[in-house]
Amino acid sequence: MKPPARRLAGTFLAGAGGRLLPASLPWRFFGAAVVFHALAWLALLAGADDWTGWHGGLGWPLAALHLITLGTLLSCAIGASLQLLPVATRQPVRSQRLMAALWWAYVPGVALLALGMGRAEPHWVAAGAAAVLGALTVWGGLLGLNLRGARGMPGVVLHGWGALAALGLLGLSAIALVALWLGRPLLDAAAARGLHLLAAAFGVMGLLVFGLAYILLPMFALAPVPDERRQVASGATAIVAIALAMVAAFGVAPNALRLAAIVAGALALGLHLQLMRHTLAAGMRRDFGRALVLMRIGWGSLVLALMLALALVLGAPVETFGRLFGIAVIGGWLLSFLFGVLQRILPFLASMHAARGQKRPPTPSALTFDRPLAWHLGCHVAALGLLAAATVTAWPALAMAAALVGLAGALCFGIFFAVLMRRLQRARDGGNRPPS
Amino acid sequence: MIGPGAPSASTWSADDGLHVDVRGMQAPQPMVLILQLVQQVGPDGVLIVHHDRDPLLLYPELVQIGWWAERIDGDPGEVRLRLAAAS
Repeated sequence: MKPPARRLAGTFLAGAGGRLLPASLPWRFFGAAVVFHALAWLALLAGADDWTGWHGGLGWPLAALHLITLGTLLSCAIGASLQLLPVATRQPVRSQRLMAALWWAYVPGVALLALGMGRAEPHWVAAGAAAVLGALTVWGGLLGLNLRGARGMPGVVLHGWGALAALGLLGLSAIALVALWLGRPLLDAAAARGLHLLAAAFGVMGLLVFGLAYILLPMFALAPVPDERRQVASGATAIVAIALAMVAAFGVAPNALRLAAIVAGALALGLHLQLMRHTLAAGMRRDFGRALVLMRIGWGSLVLALMLALALVLGAPVETFGRLFGIAVIGGWLLSFLFGVLQRILPFLASMHAARGQKRPPTPSALTFDRPLAWHLGCHVAALGLLAAATVTAWPALAMAAALVGLAGALCFGIFFAVLMRRLQRARDGGNRPPS
Repeated sequence: MIGPGAPSASTWSADDGLHVDVRGMQAPQPMVLILQLVQQVGPDGVLIVHHDRDPLLLYPELVQIGWWAERIDGDPGEVRLRLAAAS
């Protein structure tokens, strides 16, 4: 017998309200990330003359770095985790008011922090850091509740807990660095900086990238979930690698522990890439265009970063190789992977939001303005290449060129985002229009 | 045909179409299986999905291939969907 169709539910996503956030909540984080990405290249442009002689202190290069890490990467991680984790882990969305408040604390906090770094105003940095750390504590709490209630997905959950632990260390090391700039040192400067870099780049963002890839890649490629035991093995090895490098940052057997960390990191990456390769090979959709190109650039950059780290341990000059390592990790791996994911997931999410209450929602491809994404890819790769060249040659004009090309790429991505938002709005207006 | 490595789930045919029960499967396995079955039944077929949650990630994929989903009555705690090509 044919069951009767529920007319009230005869539209897409009817009854899905429990896990689909109001569009404004995740989108405001993605929007902030797009703006911060452009501001990062502007900050680098402002500090292009300082780039070649920069040693990690306050100034526009540091502001540019944090506009990328906190402003772009972590904003997107927050937006994506707020929407995708409840869907993937089969849990209800928690306090929407808290999520909205999170944005209001986090985004102005990042802006103030970056401005304080650029203008070398430690008190502004401290105020911005306080807002950011408060917001990240709330996000960490929401993430922890989600992970605690997750059913299955042991690999993703392990990476999530690892990222959460690293978030705690990121906060502690951030406090130590701010205290240092305020003239009240809590930790040795080199140890605090080392801990901060490792916790942020590899601990929080790196583990999230590895873990979320086990949800996203099968989703993009329409493939089975990768072997969970290998996911756990890769995640555990990556966590060991990060922990070893962190201990080394405190001066404990630094060369031996760094070498062990690189070996463990290479093992973790090897396992991860093997799982990604199997996922792509087994998928119904084996090529998803430019998004996959960017993801592959990301994975290749991480391999390059590990080789640079090995060169550093073996005695390569820190001045050049350390900075190249940073470009490979932040720009090459994390940023490339992020933009690969974003250009695939944003039209997907927009289609989900446009579908609410509509019989004929727009397709993700109808919402996508593709051409700026091609320009963005070219600019992104060129900007990273120019920045690496500026590092090797110590020529500020190349850093300036990198900033300008990177800014052009960021604006192209911004056009893609703005058109997506406009098309989403039009689709929703069309769906809400009363029948004539 | 479900390719090698595809997740297992019970499927059966009835008067109202091909049924698939994906309850208990981990995301995105239900989506992958459902899209494989959509290809299998073809544009004139109907697929009835027995799910334990709203498959939010599935809907944009369905729209992209010209299909659509309609919620129909199911057992308590079940999300039952009727999938067919958009006319």
